[in-house]
Amino acid sequence: MDIREVSFSYDQQKDIVQSVTTHIEKGKITTIIGPNGSGKSTLLSLMAHNHAPNKGQIHLDGQALNAFKPKELAKKLAVVHQQNEAPLDLTIERVVAFGRTPYQTMRGGDKEEDERAIEWALSSTKLTEKRKVPLASLSGGERQRVWIAMALAQKTPILFLDEPTTYLDIYYQFDILELIRELNVVHGLTIVMVLHDMNQAVRYSDVIIAMKDGQIISEGQPNDVLTEEMVRHIYHVSVTIRQDAETGMYIVPVGI
Amino acid sequence: MKKTGILFLTVSVLLVCVFIYSAITGSIHVTPIELLEGLITGQHAQVEIIKDLRIPRMLIAMFTGAALSVSGVLLQSVMRNPLADAGVIGISSGASFFSLMAITALPQFYFYSPLFSVLGGAIACFLVYVLSWKGGLSPIRMILVGIAINAMFTGMAEAFVTICSYFNITINQSGQSNLTMKTWGDVRLIGVYGVVGLVVALFFSRWCNLLALQDKTAKNLGLRVTRMRLLISITAVLLAAVTAAVAGVIAFVGLLIPHISRRLVGSDHRVLIPFSALSGALLILTADTLGRTLVAPNEIPASTIMAVIGGPFLIFLLRRGDRLHGHS
Repeated sequence: MDIREVSFSYDQQKDIVQSVTTHIEKGKITTIIGPNGSGKSTLLSLMAHNHAPNKGQIHLDGQALNAFKPKELAKKLAVVHQQNEAPLDLTIERVVAFGRTPYQTMRGGDKEEDERAIEWALSSTKLTEKRKVPLASLSGGERQRVWIAMALAQKTPILFLDEPTTYLDIYYQFDILELIRELNVVHGLTIVMVLHDMNQAVRYSDVIIAMKDGQIISEGQPNDVLTEEMVRHIYHVSVTIRQDAETGMYIVPVGI
Repeated sequence: MKKTGILFLTVSVLLVCVFIYSAITGSIHVTPIELLEGLITGQHAQVEIIKDLRIPRMLIAMFTGAALSVSGVLLQSVMRNPLADAGVIGISSGASFFSLMAITALPQFYFYSPLFSVLGGAIACFLVYVLSWKGGLSPIRMILVGIAINAMFTGMAEAFVTICSYFNITINQSGQSNLTMKTWGDVRLIGVYGVVGLVVALFFSRWCNLLALQDKTAKNLGLRVTRMRLLISITAVLLAAVTAAVAGVIAFVGLLIPHISRRLVGSDHRVLIPFSALSGALLILTADTLGRTLVAPNEIPASTIMAVIGGPFLIFLLRRGDRLHGHS
């Protein structure tokens, strides 16, 4: 995916994203980080074609996003939003089956293919045993897995996730990030996500894009991007960066 | 699934029972056997009167209930708002006002009066949408705007009737709901438009399910959300408008029935829409039957009965405001 000189504002006054140019590599996990209001989620939603850029172009496989038919785009790119809604009496299976929408035609579509995709999405997210259970009876962390399963049922090579760990406790934060890594390593999905936690970004990303005031400040491998100077520049927080023999690099805030 | 089957069966059986009771009860009374014989042979004088006068009214009551309930389901889905009801937010009164004007000015186009109703309903629906939109549709703001729109169109219809009577122009129909003096012509009218609307609604049930997700989620699934909203809204307006043209304004049906149905059969629209249609038919047929038998020979209009039940129900829904956002 190529992003060229993309700008966007909600109100025509202040650009939330200002002439951003970057390239998302296939088969990698890319994480966008930055302080609140830095435009990171907006950039992700531009890439997902939820908003159209005011200026600039985003290309996927050599074709501009707005040139895709909605259903064709939905076969290439799936998105897990930060907050999700669905009637709570629906079963997990039904919610995951919504992911097959782009493949449905007037005549119904390929039932076997749908079944296989749903099966795979459920087993990848370890929800197979809960498939008949209503959404209401799941915890927040399990629900997040349902939304990921729905996106997986779309069978796209690319998966976007907007702050997938924000509302979860530490167990499910870890659970979800491990799942994302597995989807990348085992199934070869290209992943782009927005994260708040720098340490999670370091640990689970191949590439980090650091944003501030709507612009990309730095991008590259985690240990190149997240230096003590850079973190102070982006977040106005002084940190010390350490190395741990087992877990690698980690960042500890020391003052404001 | 099994539970759903039993519920469908129960409502259907009740509907048949109420239908038979309603057909044989009233100022002319026959036994069920006489009714059946008379309908088959066409020889029974009293049954012939029932066939000409009572059965059309009953069929119209059923279509009205079904159409208003389904219209409510569709509006609630499109507006993501559990309080949306064509009667409460002014769609029905807008439709009624326009058809009143059309029938008075162009009586020869009676069969097309639903088209004018649809226009009026669409204008009301559009006004509610635009005036209550503030970066989203808050259920409470929408209902307040809707009540104002409803008051406006009701007032305009009343003013129109008053002005016309001043000039001695006969008004075929008042804005108030009225199921008496209905003919088979009216049945044909509501039947044609109503069945089309209901079939289309059923066709849209999968879309309604997807609209329960967030708009951006639906969009990421490859759906054209705005177009879906527009088409579903038009269907909802059509259903409400055709009943307003034939049976006048009956509020709260589209609020009560979808809400109870959702409790009973869940929020899958593929089940919810047919179930609401069936239950709505049962409710209005029952209300109309009670209305004409309770204080016979006087009548209580079905709309009055619905207002008496529906008003408290709306208060009940508003009191549980914390759950108005519906989903989580």
